[in-house]
Amino acid sequence: MSTDAEIDKLVRREYAAGFTTSVESETLPPGLDEGVIRHISARKGEPEWLLEWRLEAYRKWLTMTPPEWAHIHHPPIDFNEVSYFSAPKSMADRPQSLDEVDPELLRTYEKLGIPLHEQAALAGVAVDAVFDSVSIGTTFRGKLKEAGVIFCSISEAVHEYPDLIKDHLGSVVPQGDNFYAALNSAVFSDGSFVYIPKGVKCPMELSTYFRINEAKTGQFERTLIVADEGSQVSYLEGCTAPMRDENQLHAAVVELVARKDAKIKYSTVQNWYPGDEEGRGGIYNFVTKRGVAYENAHISWTQVETGSAITWKYPSVILRGDNSVGEFYSVALTRGRQQADTGTKMIHLGKNTKSTIISKGISAGRSQNAYRGLVRISPRAEGARNFTQCDSLLIGDQCGAHTFPYIESRNPSATLEHEATTSKVSDDQLFLCRQRGIDTEKAVSMIVNGFCKEVFRELPMEFAVEAGKLLEVSLEGSVG
Amino acid sequence: MTPAEQLKDSVLALASQAHRDDGLTALRKRALKQLQLLPFPEKRHEAWKYTGLNALTAGQLENAAAPVHQSADVPALGDCVIVIGNGFLPEQLPTLPDGLSALLLSDNEAAEVTPDTLFGWLNSASLSGGLLLKTERNRKVAGIVHVVFCNQSDAPCHASNRLQVELAEGSELTLIEHYLGSGPVLANAMTRILAGANSKLTHYRLQSESADSLHIGNLQIDQQRDSRVDSSQLMRGNVLRRNDVHVRMLESGATLAMRGVFIARDKSHIDNHINVEHVAPHCHSDQVYKGIAGEKGRAVFNGRIHIHPYAKGSDAALSNNNMLLSNEAEIDSKPELEIYNDDVKCAHGTTMGKMDPAQLFYLRSRGIDEGTATRMLGTGFVNETLLAMADEAVRDWAISWLGEAL
Repeated sequence: MSTDAEIDKLVRREYAAGFTTSVESETLPPGLDEGVIRHISARKGEPEWLLEWRLEAYRKWLTMTPPEWAHIHHPPIDFNEVSYFSAPKSMADRPQSLDEVDPELLRTYEKLGIPLHEQAALAGVAVDAVFDSVSIGTTFRGKLKEAGVIFCSISEAVHEYPDLIKDHLGSVVPQGDNFYAALNSAVFSDGSFVYIPKGVKCPMELSTYFRINEAKTGQFERTLIVADEGSQVSYLEGCTAPMRDENQLHAAVVELVARKDAKIKYSTVQNWYPGDEEGRGGIYNFVTKRGVAYENAHISWTQVETGSAITWKYPSVILRGDNSVGEFYSVALTRGRQQADTGTKMIHLGKNTKSTIISKGISAGRSQNAYRGLVRISPRAEGARNFTQCDSLLIGDQCGAHTFPYIESRNPSATLEHEATTSKVSDDQLFLCRQRGIDTEKAVSMIVNGFCKEVFRELPMEFAVEAGKLLEVSLEGSVG
Repeated sequence: MTPAEQLKDSVLALASQAHRDDGLTALRKRALKQLQLLPFPEKRHEAWKYTGLNALTAGQLENAAAPVHQSADVPALGDCVIVIGNGFLPEQLPTLPDGLSALLLSDNEAAEVTPDTLFGWLNSASLSGGLLLKTERNRKVAGIVHVVFCNQSDAPCHASNRLQVELAEGSELTLIEHYLGSGPVLANAMTRILAGANSKLTHYRLQSESADSLHIGNLQIDQQRDSRVDSSQLMRGNVLRRNDVHVRMLESGATLAMRGVFIARDKSHIDNHINVEHVAPHCHSDQVYKGIAGEKGRAVFNGRIHIHPYAKGSDAALSNNNMLLSNEAEIDSKPELEIYNDDVKCAHGTTMGKMDPAQLFYLRSRGIDEGTATRMLGTGFVNETLLAMADEAVRDWAISWLGEAL
């Protein structure tokens, strides 16, 4: 179907978020030692226990080696080439309100289509924006406070709600969990913190936008969401970065705690810079995301992954409480020389726990796209239920689509189903569209959209529209 | 020294033992070199994630003695029976049907050993003799050829079982590869099948050693243009059973149908690693594996379909259904797809569950006791694979033999 020329056209499409912003930044020189960690901690005026926690993570990290099992290839990363902290300079004396934020920064977010002011109000979305390593402002503070919801940057939360942070930080993803989580725990700079009190349904959708601006920096944010008994929250996350020749590192950690009867919905649209057609530059996206669901709780991960040179990410749910539910809906699109190794883990510990996994992978150009998932049924998980569906769509004959599911059952009353299919865009479907006067490119876009429908349906509406558009732009010129 | 390092030393000691010059010297030398490079498998290695080799002792890495007598009960399944005891070839081979010849394997025929596994190379390095079966061009070999590997010993020991089957262009063969035996023997089996252009092979791999023995086997099948291979693999659990099956479809038009039934009861362990590679375009593969684990049994299944970049028009399917019978049993399944071409049709499916209580209740309500009902439902679960077997004699034997394990 597709010729090399068309694939070329596809990979050469412009990365719309690839601009840089000329904001004066204070960036630490590259390199990592205990001094850097002390500096980050001191700069943020952190309490002693948090510094100790970071150093403990750093010492663990020193003993670890980068994971090699994923189906991805990249030259070894020199962790001393990375700068571990960068903040826009005008942030040095924190603005008291959004009006005081550097207008240049706000314009950046406008270019990205993230309206911090009016449009946010229209959309009814409260936004926390993280620029390089620092959170620059959270909208709708007041309205959320009325409902008792805490939504602020994690460095603020350390000062204002130390007990909540102390109780939950690292409770889901411990410092030594894996190589990149350990690194994040040592050097995390900022991120979002959300606390929903008992029985509260968060009055609006919460959202964070991440942006890497400065060259040669890594971004290490940490998100912690705690939904207390019977509460509900929907959280959105979006990411972009400028076009640069070198590979930049993004190693984030997201922890979710869903207490009894709570419900957390976490949606991501990831559009980090994927690198150019030869695979130069782009973000290495090595992320650890995990949630714990207590009795009757419900955690749902929805992700649309179109960016990053490499994606290494497995949003997981530990179904600890009886009757808890975990869901994972994912669309991963790779093109050019992108590589994705993504999937989920569902650990069934409680009785009658349920999990659903729907993963759609689309590979084009010379990219490699892999689903890797684990479903584990512990001996105690009486009556557990899992359904997994992994579908892959290939566009072009130089890409790859792979499936590596691990299914482990230690309880006979559990029922597990897994199915996976791989195919190309069907000629019959294309023919039908063409016959009705729809040009091939549009037809492919329609077919792909239909292929992903099950996942898009799970996204909040504004995001579903954005995700659909993102996919359309990404597929431009992929089929002739 | 860790246990794995100690076992590796035993492996090297076994592999370095002197043999008389019998035409396999070069192969043994080459294998020893490869062995020196490979680590001893441990759980941290992906391929051995679910199977520990704790059951293996240094004794099982010492050469088995030639059997004094052949006492094994060989069921009458084939028209021509060749019995190989503890890896030692019989002095006199039976009369073979027309179109088939049997030879001693020698260096120039023993094709390179891929997959690159430690036990595969150990088989070569400690080999005292291998059987080579060759068909004549455009000949259909009449009847069923029954090759029995009987490994028996009262003390722990290691027996290298080696079979190579070469199907010439346009020939047809029905082959049973049968493993029998008892005692703490480690049967290290390696079977290579080369299916020539337009040839047809019906293959049965029956593993019915007693529960106290160990088995680590490699089965490698290479398929040429338009060849058809129909392979049934039936096994019951023992102390340790590991099978690495590797099929390479090297030329276009090849067809593969592979079925398997594995039943792990009591404390037994079965691990099946299947790897089907579509190297050439327009090949077709279909796999169905059924697993049952009861008591403290553990069954592992890893089924990989690998479509190479130029293998357009590939059609591959894999299905793995599993049934757990008790709270302490465990099944781990990992179906994998690795696909590098867009013009393909590939699918895999896995299920895990228990015996349907409604079906059990139905049978009980008809006055059938629980044991019989369980056996009936278990047989029904695996029946699809058994009924697809072409030869009635093997099918009938398999139904009753697997029924015993239910």
